[in-house]
Amino acid sequence: MRIIDEKNVEDLALGAAVLGTGGGGDPYVGMLMAKQAIRDYGPIELYDLDEFDDDDLVVPTAMMGAPTVMIEKLPNGDDFVHAFEAVSKYIGKPVKATMTIEAGGLNSVVPIYVAARLRLPMVDCDGMGRAFPEIQMVTHTIYGISATPFAMADANGNTVLMETINNRWTETFARSVTIDMGAMASIALYAATVGQLKEAAIRGIVTKAEAIGKTIRLARVQEEDPVKTVREAVGGLLIFKGKIGDVERRTEGGFARGTAHILGIDDYAGQEARLHFQNEHLAFQVNGEYAVTTPDLIALLDVDTGEPVTTEGMRYGFRVAVIGIPCSEKWRTPKGLELVGPRYFGYDVDYVPVEERYG
Amino acid sequence: MRLLHEENVRDIALGAAVLGTGGGGDPYIGMLMACAAVRQYGPVTLYTLDELADDDLIIPSAGMGAPTVAVEKLPNGDDYVSAFQALERYLGRSARATMSIEAGGLNSVVPIYVAARLRLPMVDCDGMGRAFPEIQMVTHTLYGISATPFTLADVHGNVVLMETINNRWTETFARTIAVDMGAEAATAMYPATAGQLKEAAISGTITLAETIGQTIRQARSTEENPVDTVRNAAGGFLIFNGKITDVQRRTTGGFARGDARLEGIDDYRGQTLTLHFQNEHLAARVDGVYKVTTPDLIAVLDIDTGEPITTEALRYGCRVAVIGIPCSGKWRTDEGLALAGPRYFGYDVDYTPVEEVYE
Repeated sequence: MRIIDEKNVEDLALGAAVLGTGGGGDPYVGMLMAKQAIRDYGPIELYDLDEFDDDDLVVPTAMMGAPTVMIEKLPNGDDFVHAFEAVSKYIGKPVKATMTIEAGGLNSVVPIYVAARLRLPMVDCDGMGRAFPEIQMVTHTIYGISATPFAMADANGNTVLMETINNRWTETFARSVTIDMGAMASIALYAATVGQLKEAAIRGIVTKAEAIGKTIRLARVQEEDPVKTVREAVGGLLIFKGKIGDVERRTEGGFARGTAHILGIDDYAGQEARLHFQNEHLAFQVNGEYAVTTPDLIALLDVDTGEPVTTEGMRYGFRVAVIGIPCSEKWRTPKGLELVGPRYFGYDVDYVPVEERYG
Repeated sequence: MRLLHEENVRDIALGAAVLGTGGGGDPYIGMLMACAAVRQYGPVTLYTLDELADDDLIIPSAGMGAPTVAVEKLPNGDDYVSAFQALERYLGRSARATMSIEAGGLNSVVPIYVAARLRLPMVDCDGMGRAFPEIQMVTHTLYGISATPFTLADVHGNVVLMETINNRWTETFARTIAVDMGAEAATAMYPATAGQLKEAAISGTITLAETIGQTIRQARSTEENPVDTVRNAAGGFLIFNGKITDVQRRTTGGFARGDARLEGIDDYRGQTLTLHFQNEHLAARVDGVYKVTTPDLIAVLDIDTGEPITTEALRYGCRVAVIGIPCSGKWRTDEGLALAGPRYFGYDVDYTPVEEVYE
């Protein structure tokens, strides 16, 4: 067990932006809420799964919807509590802790807010090890854990609770209701026991995000090569360095899809790369060949600062380093690849682990 | 207390089509399901509200969605049971009885199916005394009864439960989810005690529907003027006899909207009636002047048989009688007219009770 205070939250949010692989939502507003909650209610306790009993119940909390909306339409905080309490009331058993379902992006810090307000501990694990756009895309699904009972609440005081026959249906209903709620909803989902999570969750990910964030923060003040420092902290591989040329964006099927053209610089001069994104960076091609694809993580870092660049933040002329980070082994199984592999997202290529190409 | 057998169900369905004022969904499939359930599980006991204790819990059961879909995509019945039982489970209380929330159209007979299957009685009342297109348009809303907890279930086995801050929000979320469920959902809603319903519900509407249906059935085999007999049974006024000369339909905002033009025949020769509908018939104008509007009922009857004609069945050349039936006094209050009066539906006219125009 260790204590998470305001400083930890800042590092965590910064590191989560790297694990967000360009998406996952800007953690900024969530970070402010989490810090405020820690100021109001005190620091929270972060536990390893081993520190709990196998039958202790954990209910993750998260935000769902369009991250672009959240920047303008702030959650009021009660909505998170409503969603969390709707699930715990429905289950009828005490909940021992909350956790993040998605350590990449905004949802890394949402459970800290909830944990502080409800004076609950948080467990150091998630269901992605990165960010993904849909509810069923979590390692819990691979291990047969249901997303339901699933509760969603809005800032007006409405609550919707569902029991679905599979996690894909949860995504369908929840996505529609989120739009009705104003393109943003607070959710509680994937209730599971610690015993289930020991098998199904990705462990230590909150600590990992925090370590990445701390490295970036320190790299700002030191004179080292910040990209190299961050790359080493995340265990990533350098794929490309280049200058962003054209960025094509389109909003289709509720996703921010697009492609960025990147022209090589330094050792990569003369090469051309294309980065494909659907909320998150999902595939990277160098000279027309796939170099890294989902579920491995593709992070863009500013070459001068090592700070992550989001899909919205990509602009003509930015100089970026592209790094590939091996995903959790759980995603590399046939079931995992069926759920979040390149073909699920429409890329006609088989998955090859990034370290096999670049290790 | 009396028993509803198959022949009662058939009469209720026929009369409910008159109270459906052109909409409310074709009761045919629901009638077949209710008859089959009565054959299999025995007749359903119909109580008046006075026969129940004030604290008895009543849960209405209904179908929601596009009636056009219900004709092709049959409910499997388990969905109604599962919506009903999910609500009971959430409330932690068993229902003493079910009821119809909408005695006009399909939802007149849905609760008979549920009552037979669950061996529950049914109460002789509803929340409209007619059909209306949206969830909040019930007399319960006028008396502050919440539509929630509200459950929806589909044929796949998914269940969604909601708690909303008002009944308009219930409509918003439920409509969205019903679309995701395949434009058709089984619902349970507006749980209330018999004590609350004695004030808020419209009593005797199932018996009224049955009486009207029985009259139509008998008119088929007697030599009387069928329109007169039906009009008398429903307590209505003859507005117009005419021939349909034009029907314009458009589907906007999830409604089947349109206008039908009738050229007068017999005593009405030389006059023109325009019938405006949005799922239900909502306003009738004679030579440009509003004569009957919602919430009063406007029924279109086949001039030869007295049988009701739905908005979908309005066709060039049909010879019809248009009758106006006074709505429940509950709809004639300021709150009632705000909820379901002509201006809510976009007709720029104040409501005048039909009997003031025609008596």
